[in-house]
Amino acid sequence: MSSREDILQSIRRNTRVRYEKPDYLPLEQEAMTYLDKLARFQEVMTQVGGRAVILQEGEDLNTVIRKLYPEAVRVAAYMSEVTCGTGVQCLSCATFHPDDVEKPADLDGTDLAIIRGSVGVCENGAVWICQEVEQRAVYFISEALVILLDRKNLVNNMHEAYKRIDTGDYGYGVFISGPSKTADIEQALVMGAHGARDVTVILL
Amino acid sequence: MKVGLFIPCYINAVYPQVGVASYKLLKSLGVDVDYPLDQTCCGQPMANAGFEDEAVELAKRFDRLFEHYDYIVGPSASCVVFVRDHYGNLLAKEQHRCASEGKIYDICEFIHDVVKPTSLAASFPHKVSIQNSCHGVRLMHLSAPSELNIPYYNKLRDLLSLVKGIEIVEPERPDECCGFGGMFAVEEHAVSGRMGRDKVQRHIDTGAEYIVGADSSCLMHQTGIINRDHLPIKTIHIVEILASGL
Amino acid sequence: MSTKHSIAAEKFQENRELASWHDQTLWMVRAKRDKISKEVPEWEKLRDMSCAIKQYSNSHLDLLLQEFEKNAIANGAHVYWAKDADEYCSIIHHILEGHHVKHFIKSKSMLAEECGLNEYLEEKGIEVVESDLGERILQLMHKRPSHIVMPAIHIKKEEIGELFVKEMGTEPGNNDQTYLTHAARKNLRHKFIEAEAAMTGANFAVASTGECVVCTNEGNADMGTSQPKLQITAFGMEKIVPDRDALGVFTRLLARSGTGQPITTYTSHYRKPRKGGELHIIIVDNGRSQILADPDHVKTLNCLRCGACMNTCPVYRRSGGYSYTYFIPGPIGINLGMLKAPLHYYDNVSACSLCHSCQNVCPAKVDLADQIYRWRQKLHGLGVASSSKKYLSGGMKMLMEHPHLFNLALKSAPIANALPHWMVYNGLNDWGKEHEMPEFAKESFNEMWKNNKVK
Repeated sequence: MSSREDILQSIRRNTRVRYEKPDYLPLEQEAMTYLDKLARFQEVMTQVGGRAVILQEGEDLNTVIRKLYPEAVRVAAYMSEVTCGTGVQCLSCATFHPDDVEKPADLDGTDLAIIRGSVGVCENGAVWICQEVEQRAVYFISEALVILLDRKNLVNNMHEAYKRIDTGDYGYGVFISGPSKTADIEQALVMGAHGARDVTVILL
Repeated sequence: MKVGLFIPCYINAVYPQVGVASYKLLKSLGVDVDYPLDQTCCGQPMANAGFEDEAVELAKRFDRLFEHYDYIVGPSASCVVFVRDHYGNLLAKEQHRCASEGKIYDICEFIHDVVKPTSLAASFPHKVSIQNSCHGVRLMHLSAPSELNIPYYNKLRDLLSLVKGIEIVEPERPDECCGFGGMFAVEEHAVSGRMGRDKVQRHIDTGAEYIVGADSSCLMHQTGIINRDHLPIKTIHIVEILASGL
Repeated sequence: MSTKHSIAAEKFQENRELASWHDQTLWMVRAKRDKISKEVPEWEKLRDMSCAIKQYSNSHLDLLLQEFEKNAIANGAHVYWAKDADEYCSIIHHILEGHHVKHFIKSKSMLAEECGLNEYLEEKGIEVVESDLGERILQLMHKRPSHIVMPAIHIKKEEIGELFVKEMGTEPGNNDQTYLTHAARKNLRHKFIEAEAAMTGANFAVASTGECVVCTNEGNADMGTSQPKLQITAFGMEKIVPDRDALGVFTRLLARSGTGQPITTYTSHYRKPRKGGELHIIIVDNGRSQILADPDHVKTLNCLRCGACMNTCPVYRRSGGYSYTYFIPGPIGINLGMLKAPLHYYDNVSACSLCHSCQNVCPAKVDLADQIYRWRQKLHGLGVASSSKKYLSGGMKMLMEHPHLFNLALKSAPIANALPHWMVYNGLNDWGKEHEMPEFAKESFNEMWKNNKVK
């Protein structure tokens, strides 16, 4: 008999009481919400070691990014246009498309990646990134990340977030909450363990 | 309402004044209280050490001793909660339905929840630091455990607030274990001793003159450390304060 | 009256400064957990829900695992089932061998520790690189984790500084945490890039989607799996959850409980293999299905491996992870060790004062202290109860069952007060090592009552 069958049989043999599946709804309805989501999201982004800035009416996205990362030389992005509120802006500050490299290792040395988030969570600063490029290494290997997020896509908590996410055609997605960090040496918090050292969410 | 006073073994032997204060306090509150003779031990020390079966005879005896009382009240949260949480299971093995578990109270719990006095004659012009004992807090619910997200309450503080002239504080890490734990204190003496020393120090850091608690076992452990290290603080059982002046 | 744990704990306490640092540092994590959990008004209901979901999923493992398998295969993954540690290791070795892998990068997996994967692969000539910073430090030091979430919590930065001079060419004497962390970042970047395969564990496996979810702060799981085309993910079968809505509950609890963060930096959802790559998923039993039949201990399968019970445990904080004989320390480790091999790991059962704090912090409401109490009751039947404890306990029973003997003892007890100090504190008396003896009253309460002195 295969191990699969052995294991399943052992599970069936040893399972005693079968508990019912609980109803999530009452908890989800009671979960915390925020009156001013925009302000809360900015606050929590600071707490998790990153920042959130609001793109103001009439502001040029490229100028904002350049001001935040004036020294970035290799800048990756996979969209050429970005919808900001009612208008559309050209994303011209990127220097290359991440899928133009031969292998993911070639992305090492990327100073900044500009990527797109689809849901932002106010309780914890997590932003859902659904893989949109073949080389998903770009989300992690870059020294800094700019995540573009429509402010209409802020939700209160993880219950709401999970109802709105998907893993898309690539079958991969990740919540990113601030920069990569570790406290493995004497519990001292250090930003930039393996992933981005610096994360800015720009709310469009 | 007939109350049987439960005096645990080490209070009987080491702290009889706690038993006396308990009796006086209940009397002064108009409670019809009696002491069924020849009590020994509830069996907790054996059970916590891993010999629960050795507590079965004691449980049977205890249950008989108190069968004619409406309430059983004792000045030790840990022993009381052992009877409440474990006797049912111990006696079930003997086909004996436990009568004690539903009517036993720690004395603070009983006064706070059943008698509900609005004033006490007691006066104690000293600063005291509350020893929130593990079993009192987490099993008997005498106060809100620091781990849980529930509103703060503390029945010991409520009762002490009725005492004139007293100043009440709680230490940092207000309900961290003091390290007694029955035979744990002997078997794991290095860790237990460290826990006790840390606890006493946090009580001292409040500036209190007394460590006050509802469990003489925690107080006995801390007294042993205070005496060994000659530390500037004393211990006292809460009923001794509540009964002061009686 | 001592156990391997109590002996090791006493040794740990000899270095007062380090022991006190260990206690305070982990208490700080517990305090962070308290603070952040109190910012969530529905916290206690979240814990109830997480427990209810785990009880549901662990009592429907047969159905949920098959649902997971079906979906994972539809997603393009290969799915394997491993009965035990050996099978798990050999499946992984087989996959790596089939792809001629010589360099293998791993993110933290307690399952791999449980099954001894690194040793197994290294014996077969495959270089295994741990990518979690704490795990990497320990790997280079040839040491084991002392905590499941903060594996190197017991190591001081000076030791790490020295290690990195040798291993990563850092400046001697520079022990700054930021400097050392960034040196490791640079050093491991090359390891990520040269690896031919990457492996992760899983915090959750979602039945309804067939995806595995991994939570990290460093981003090492993603750095690993986004370089080579071959990904292996293995999980103990109790990691299964029914659906993504369940993740909404668990991701709110996990990091808040474990480290006091609102969520881990990365919560990664691996559903399909990378384009042109392969995803191999291994479902592992290794004793778990047996636990299902044990009503006293089945709730250990609720565990999320957040480490909160360690941070709150007053004994763990004051004795360190290495004082336990099982590879998982603290309250959950005491219980898991006993479930694995009671005759091997019973020494840890003494490491508990039954304070019950662990049960209150557990985000999945494992009844950790109650279970330890139950294990103590079983030691006698296993033939490993401490004989001196048994003797003491038996003596007490005899005395307490006979009130006249107890009363007689109460009468003569005050004599002990007058014993000379050297007789009482002679080194044989473990209470006397830490404390003065309590002083017996001249008259017991029983006697006072009989003499009508209680009024």
